[in-house]
Amino acid sequence: MKKALNGIGNYFKNIGIAFVKGDVWVKVSAVLMGAGYIARNQIINGIIMFLVEALFAVLCIGYAAPNLAKFGTLGTVQFEQVFDPLTMTSTINDYDNSFLILLNSIIALFLIVVFLIFWAANIKAVYRLQQKSENGEHINTFKEDVLALFNEKFHITLLTLPAIGIILMNILPILVLVAVAFTNYDQQHMPPSSLFTWVGWSNFKNLFSNSVTVTFGYSFRKVLIWTLVWAVLATFTTYIFGILLAKFINNKQTKMPKMWRTLFIIAIAVPQFVTLLLVRNFFADSGIVNTFCTNIGLTDFLKNVGLVPSNLSYIPFLTNPGWAKVMIVIINIWVGVPYQMLIATGVLMNIPEDQIESARIDGANPLQIFAKITMPYMLFVTGPSLITDFVKNINNFNVIYLLTQDVFVTSDQLLANSNAKEVDLLVTWLFRLTNEYYNYKMASVIGIIVFIICAAFTLITFTRTIKGDKEEEFQ
Amino acid sequence: MKKKVLATLLATAMTVGCLAGCGGSDGAAEAPAAQEPAAEAPAAEEAPAAQEEAPAVEAPATAAEGTDPVANLVAATTGTVTLKVWASEEDQDLTNKLLDDFKAAYPDVTFDITLGAESESTAKDTVLTDVEAAADVYAFADDQINDLVNAGALQEVVANYTFDVVNENVTGAVEAAAVDGKVYAYPMTADNGYFMFYDSSVFSESDVQSLEKMIEVADAAGKKIAMDISNGWYIYAFFQGAGLELKLNDDGLTNTCNWNGQGGTDVAQAILDLTASNVLVDMGDEDMATQIAEGNVVACVNGTWRAETAQTAWGENYAATKLPTFKAGGKDCQMSSYSGYKLIGVNPHSENIGWAMLLAEFLTNESAQTQRFQERGLGPSNIAAASSDAVQANPAIAALAEQAAYATPQRVGGNFWSPAETLGQILASGNPDGTDLQELLDTTVEGITAPVE
Amino acid sequence: MKKTVNSIIRHLVLLLLAVVWLIPILWLFVTSFSGYKGINTAHFFPETWTLDNYMQLFFRSDSIVQYNRWFLNTLVIAIFTCLISTILVLMVSYTMSKLRFPGRKQLMSFSIILNMFPGVLSMIAIYFILKTFNLTNSHLGMIIVYSAGAGLGFLICKGFMDTISVSLSEAARLEGASEAKIFFKIILPLSKPIIVYTVISSFLVPWGDFVFAKLMLNSGIATDWTVAIGLFNMLNKSMINKYFSVFCAGGVIISIPISILFLIMQKFYVEGITGGSVKG
Repeated sequence: MKKALNGIGNYFKNIGIAFVKGDVWVKVSAVLMGAGYIARNQIINGIIMFLVEALFAVLCIGYAAPNLAKFGTLGTVQFEQVFDPLTMTSTINDYDNSFLILLNSIIALFLIVVFLIFWAANIKAVYRLQQKSENGEHINTFKEDVLALFNEKFHITLLTLPAIGIILMNILPILVLVAVAFTNYDQQHMPPSSLFTWVGWSNFKNLFSNSVTVTFGYSFRKVLIWTLVWAVLATFTTYIFGILLAKFINNKQTKMPKMWRTLFIIAIAVPQFVTLLLVRNFFADSGIVNTFCTNIGLTDFLKNVGLVPSNLSYIPFLTNPGWAKVMIVIINIWVGVPYQMLIATGVLMNIPEDQIESARIDGANPLQIFAKITMPYMLFVTGPSLITDFVKNINNFNVIYLLTQDVFVTSDQLLANSNAKEVDLLVTWLFRLTNEYYNYKMASVIGIIVFIICAAFTLITFTRTIKGDKEEEFQ
Repeated sequence: MKKKVLATLLATAMTVGCLAGCGGSDGAAEAPAAQEPAAEAPAAEEAPAAQEEAPAVEAPATAAEGTDPVANLVAATTGTVTLKVWASEEDQDLTNKLLDDFKAAYPDVTFDITLGAESESTAKDTVLTDVEAAADVYAFADDQINDLVNAGALQEVVANYTFDVVNENVTGAVEAAAVDGKVYAYPMTADNGYFMFYDSSVFSESDVQSLEKMIEVADAAGKKIAMDISNGWYIYAFFQGAGLELKLNDDGLTNTCNWNGQGGTDVAQAILDLTASNVLVDMGDEDMATQIAEGNVVACVNGTWRAETAQTAWGENYAATKLPTFKAGGKDCQMSSYSGYKLIGVNPHSENIGWAMLLAEFLTNESAQTQRFQERGLGPSNIAAASSDAVQANPAIAALAEQAAYATPQRVGGNFWSPAETLGQILASGNPDGTDLQELLDTTVEGITAPVE
Repeated sequence: MKKTVNSIIRHLVLLLLAVVWLIPILWLFVTSFSGYKGINTAHFFPETWTLDNYMQLFFRSDSIVQYNRWFLNTLVIAIFTCLISTILVLMVSYTMSKLRFPGRKQLMSFSIILNMFPGVLSMIAIYFILKTFNLTNSHLGMIIVYSAGAGLGFLICKGFMDTISVSLSEAARLEGASEAKIFFKIILPLSKPIIVYTVISSFLVPWGDFVFAKLMLNSGIATDWTVAIGLFNMLNKSMINKYFSVFCAGGVIISIPISILFLIMQKFYVEGITGGSVKG
């Protein structure tokens, strides 16, 4: 933390130094960006810099200013349309679209920040040029600068394009939605016909408070708990079963291991949405599994045991909260085990045989070997991917959505009042909030919470692996 | 063919005495004949009648004398008119045909009309996500009209050009297309409500009068009666039927509901008792279709969209009637229902709004509704089309008409659905937690009447 | 004797498991030949067998079933997506794995965290961003949606590149090769397995996604759709009873190429995800 603060401090200090110690050209560069380059005979660099500045000025006036001016209110002019029955045409006033104002303002702010960083870099670069020329060092020609982009600055060349994509598809949307969490953007305030505006922290308060009618707090707690339970269950069941299956198939006594492996892989090679939708109908209340269970008397047996409510003539695989949760985990095992088996197979083949051999000589039984040697080794190698799986399961939209959408009806009234269901994960809940109820404000708040949870898990584990030695191990 | 359509149109327009030039180049010559000042009269007569039943619907203004907006529009249109239309998957063939007729009716104009598939029941979801990208003309179910109007996704029908929307359609349909007395859509069908389908080889006509009797008969036959109880739309039938109230407040967002009031627990208990028999089962629409075909379900509460399935499965024993009565607190209550209509709306963000309105009229006029009935069996909302013998003879539509006396238009705020659905789910699964029924209803009502920020 | 019994039991257990895993797939397969268009709930195998579902997919296009178009659309989107994604992933993973520059680790942590943000939430913002560029309802827009953010998924590929010995590039550097040359001439050829993995896995994305596709391609016109939306649409409440077996047929058809690619990919998947540890 301290290091980070120091880093930021140094960054600004260096800009200050450059500006104060710089000669007149450096100071002119602060206003006219190309100046410093042109003064050092880097004409093309200078022109490029100047063009960048000009482009930025145009953007500021034409794009940033009009949007940012409305950023404080998110627009004031309501949509109005007048239809003239005689000419059969309509006129629409020059209305404000709150969402577009928000979106454009954030893009504009982003561009401004990027420009400021660029501007600071420009001053520092020009100052460095000044130092170089004072010390009589070689100043790059334009051609040399370009070549540098394929050598010591190759990372800039390589990262530019991916970075643009990521900014457009990930960073900007995230910023927009963080902003939406502080507005009242919902079905009653939906552009273009209505305006929405800033409301401060009230959505967050709603998520953590509970009243008779606002049950978001209650639902959030329930959904969060199930999300975490699900993520743990889903991750560990598939992991353990995957390893067991891999060991089972890899065993020397198993004939034709390749064929067996392929059989399991076929099940996951069919696109997930196809299999999951299919399985949903497979286990439907009046589906084929239920017909089968009724015919062999399983339904009656379960009724007698009390696992199926007595007034049902079917097993509510995906319609009763308890059953549905169990079924979802089981179906997820079905979906996930083949993947884990694949990975486990790869890892198991590389377990140092000598360790196992010596353990066996020492009289360890297979269970001990599995617990003391195989598992620790597996955990060591697949640890990071296990954490990734955990986070992926927190966000496992497909399995939950495809299996329960349109089928599962909640029987918890408080959940129903905030449009949640027992089987919902945070992501499926927020998806329903946006897609069916247009409650973007609450969905954004939930999204931010999911993000924080996932980021915390990732930070804890990945900083370890990134800092760890593994990266340099083979280099 | 197109001459015939035009002629029918014109005839209708003139007999009802209401307005408007038929489009097309020759339309201009015929137009003045239709534009009699008397055009205002029927509208004025209709108004008081409409006022008796809650939301009074104002008849849209007719165009001023001496001008023909359609001819003006044709004259003012240069270049291609691009329109996007959404109709349900099942309606594609028919709509395509109607679109061709529409193009033929205005030979001087070049159209580029694309037809997309969007189910009426989900139109709202797609439209609200991005109103500007939605189709210029789209079909939707009338329960969505409040949300659509609130979102500014419907152009008010301020004027009619080829026929009188308000007076040529049944009052219920026009009310369903109106919000606060203003018409926002063109009624397309009047058959989106629900009633009882049954297999007459199992039930006699007297059996289907009461739900208790039906359950008895079905139980004896070892068959099931299906109803989507865990669905706010259907569970309403019980509570409304017992005289309890659910209505939309004047703000157009929140609800008033007294399901937890006097007699509420009796209804809840009745649903528990009815489903406890395991003969009346809670079943979604898709499952019903399969179960009817498999022969397990011999009666179901559903709408005209299932008529085909039922007819195929039961053949000449296929029958339909109004919903039966049920016993709540010792007395027989007639099950109520929502009357439903399918409507066509015009997107106010449309670039060719005039043409969009003309097309919406064309897709809902008498001739179109008659064709829709002939080809798809959908009940017309147009008075003239609905009065034809063929329509009257259709069992499903007759059952709807019978049920109409007990049906109410669907006006309910968005907070109704989830709590009501859950109430149905709890009751249909036999109240597994044993919650006190009064408490159960109290929580439901709290959810239904929750304020909307 | 005991050994044979053991072996038989072992294979029986495997057989049982394999049956459990394959039953739904088998159901998909047999239902695709069903003469009854709805969901068959009473019998596992259809009562009447027909090829009609496949005929309907390929030869009887209407406003609901446009399978040939969907297949073509998805193929085009998938090809461009996998080209762009692979290039982006390779660029990022090479930079993160082989180049050293200030802020590298911070950048890596940052992008890993960024990748955690639930995609379904940013969907609506992405929609409006693309709408401002008039890219909704276009396949170009879909390609951008699927590939633009691909750079974030560099982790597996980077893990693989970490295992490529640094001495090779050192030697080349001594001989005066530029970084670009090292990238193209040395690292890329050695990364073949992971490139194959990246290509195939990004190729598969458009075939399985229905959430983004449904939002972006919202014109309601069937010819614009991808296979996933088309098939998803067939299970709509109002359609499922007329299209379930057609859906199954469609599912079988896309499963064939995807299964083949998947079988090729799985080998590299294992190598990639277990990183260098497997080799070591």
